[in-house]
Amino acid sequence: MSHQNTCTRRGFMGGAAATGAGAFLRLGAPALAAITQAACGARDDGNAFAVLGADAARDLAAMAARILPTTDTPGASEAGVIHFIDQALGDAMADSLPFVLEQLEALDASVGGRFAALDAAAQDAALAGIEDGPFFSLVYMMTIFGFFSMSRYGGNRDHVGWKLIGFDGHHGAWQYPFGYYDAEAQRGDVDAG
Amino acid sequence: MTSMPGKPSFPLDTPVDFVIVGSGSAGGILAKELSTAGFDVVILEQGPYRKAADFRHDELSVIFRDELLGGGTAASGQTFRHDADETAVRPRRQPAQYAQTVGGSSAHFTANFWRFRDIDFRERSALDSIAGTNFADWPITYDELEPYYTKVDWEIGVSGAPGPNDARRSKPFPLPPMPVKSSGVLMERGAKELGLTCQPEPHAILSQPFNGRAACINCGYCMFFGCEVGAKSSTLAAMIPLAEASGRCEIRAECAAYRVETDANGRASEVLYYDPDGNQRGQKAKAVILSANGVETPRLLLMSASARHPDGLANSSGFVGRNLMFNAHSVANGVFEEPLNDYKGVQVTRIIHDFYDADPARGFYGGGGLDARPLWSATPILHALEGMPPDVPSWGAAFKDEIAHNFTRQMSIVGSTTSLAQDRNNVTLDPESRDRWGRPAARITYRDHDDDLAMATFLQDHGMALLDAAGATKAWRRPVEPGTNSAHLLGTCRMGDDPATSVVNRDHRSHDVPNLFLCDGSSFVTSGRGQPTMTIMALAFRAADRIKAAAAANAI
Repeated sequence: MSHQNTCTRRGFMGGAAATGAGAFLRLGAPALAAITQAACGARDDGNAFAVLGADAARDLAAMAARILPTTDTPGASEAGVIHFIDQALGDAMADSLPFVLEQLEALDASVGGRFAALDAAAQDAALAGIEDGPFFSLVYMMTIFGFFSMSRYGGNRDHVGWKLIGFDGHHGAWQYPFGYYDAEAQRGDVDAG
Repeated sequence: MTSMPGKPSFPLDTPVDFVIVGSGSAGGILAKELSTAGFDVVILEQGPYRKAADFRHDELSVIFRDELLGGGTAASGQTFRHDADETAVRPRRQPAQYAQTVGGSSAHFTANFWRFRDIDFRERSALDSIAGTNFADWPITYDELEPYYTKVDWEIGVSGAPGPNDARRSKPFPLPPMPVKSSGVLMERGAKELGLTCQPEPHAILSQPFNGRAACINCGYCMFFGCEVGAKSSTLAAMIPLAEASGRCEIRAECAAYRVETDANGRASEVLYYDPDGNQRGQKAKAVILSANGVETPRLLLMSASARHPDGLANSSGFVGRNLMFNAHSVANGVFEEPLNDYKGVQVTRIIHDFYDADPARGFYGGGGLDARPLWSATPILHALEGMPPDVPSWGAAFKDEIAHNFTRQMSIVGSTTSLAQDRNNVTLDPESRDRWGRPAARITYRDHDDDLAMATFLQDHGMALLDAAGATKAWRRPVEPGTNSAHLLGTCRMGDDPATSVVNRDHRSHDVPNLFLCDGSSFVTSGRGQPTMTIMALAFRAADRIKAAAAANAI
């Protein structure tokens, strides 16, 4: 599955069945398309990367996309996680850049080509072979960070990660009730004890 | 309109009345009490002077890059080992979790705010000695501290409602409790089923406007974060402004103390520190108060070793740094059918204190409390990295679906327990590791007592039963293991009447150095049941009264 293919896949627009998709679906199709366009447009911009070359970026983006895959809901690709990774490896995690590049070469060598060029099943098999090692662990952490941290760090584009899980954290202030059970108790439907 | 007094700037070479090292739960209160009583006070705080508006909802920076902790082990150099025969190493996660910022850890704590009970001060007498431990009574009682708990309630700002077995209080809570959240409702449901007693959680957070401060806006960023509206009753929000308004308190932020000097008479005379530019400075003082926390206070005393005090200042007992207590913890996690959205609002709204007292029938010493809270589902990264059930793959589509489904539907029941004081758990100076200023790093050696771990597991069993009784669709836990880090740093300069087995007396005065006072979590003799900050603050108000009385009698 290539970079472009992931981007043009619009599977997550298709169905309401998957959990967590509610917030997206309520936005409606035009808004969804805009989000996806924005995320893809930024990622495909040739000047977008600070420290990563195109091949390394493709491999890391592909790894992130298997950790948080695009299904009927958005994943690492739509959140622009690769931009978080690029920014982090140029800044707070700069010490790790040589290690990451060296490990990517080793990964490519082990699969006999670019990791990003493999299909999803082959990528998963390759990652399963390294999932207990420090390289996978580092990319895993960066993927989670890039999916859920503030957008100013480069990922979580348009709050894709937060919307997926139903987190409206950026709003900052709330009124009671917050959830189903406290609302129920407040209404007096049940005896809260 | 009265004009505000200007900000003082005290000369280094003229002894100021008090130098206070640390501006946190204890230091902030002592500074306010002493400066408003007319004493000149210099606070040395190693962290920066962040104001409420500087606190951000930035999970990556605050939780995972240790923004408020001053940069984590890379900066602090802290090392950890379980046992003294191991070489301590720098872990990724800071062993002693305290905030470096004006207001100290009171700025970033979760603000759960339990008083101790009568039994916490005299439990050794009520039970028996426990072999291999330094289990002891406090030299003060609950009744002696009660007026100061009440003072904390009314000066700091505490929200709550009395529980059925709470300690006696001389005045009601100034503010009503925070409204119950879904996690609290579910805990109540489980407790009713199991015949346990739920009660509202007291908070050092304002449920209503109080003393000119705004009420909580339910943003949900209490645990680990600073409060951007000042509703959390940190010393930054409640005490420091009063200290500064006195015109007698100078706060020197980003100033890291590295030595307390003593004079030929054996009295503390000067505190040496690195200023914000890294220059070595010394502030002369008539008296010195260390309120730097249960790791930094003993560390500074150990760094102050001299020919006269070869084992560290104020350490003739050998108890400086010993008896470190973390409070053991355990967690039970559950997912429910409907959304709780427990990431909104304060962490905890309901607790169970039915297991507060030790019970010989359990077969081990200990007591503790249970609370209901989002914990791992308070913020997204924490949820994805720490909050997943063990039967879910750690990456891929199923992982993503689980995160997406559980985040709004998940809660935890946290058990927190007593810790027994032991020689083997301590703070020493690491022989190799240094912090970013070049000071010897704190080396933490810690292994929970078996009874503490048994108590944590006992509470976790009840947590699992509560989740089940509340109707969780799925519940899970990880085995309780010996702790490797804590924000509760207690017992390392304990108070006591006997100079051979304690570091400070009941008035927080060093047995060895008459004008040196130590007041923070290090003063604790026992650990309480898991929420120590209220007691640190009450001790600080009491210490301030004792110090003022001594000064008035010209007895410092």
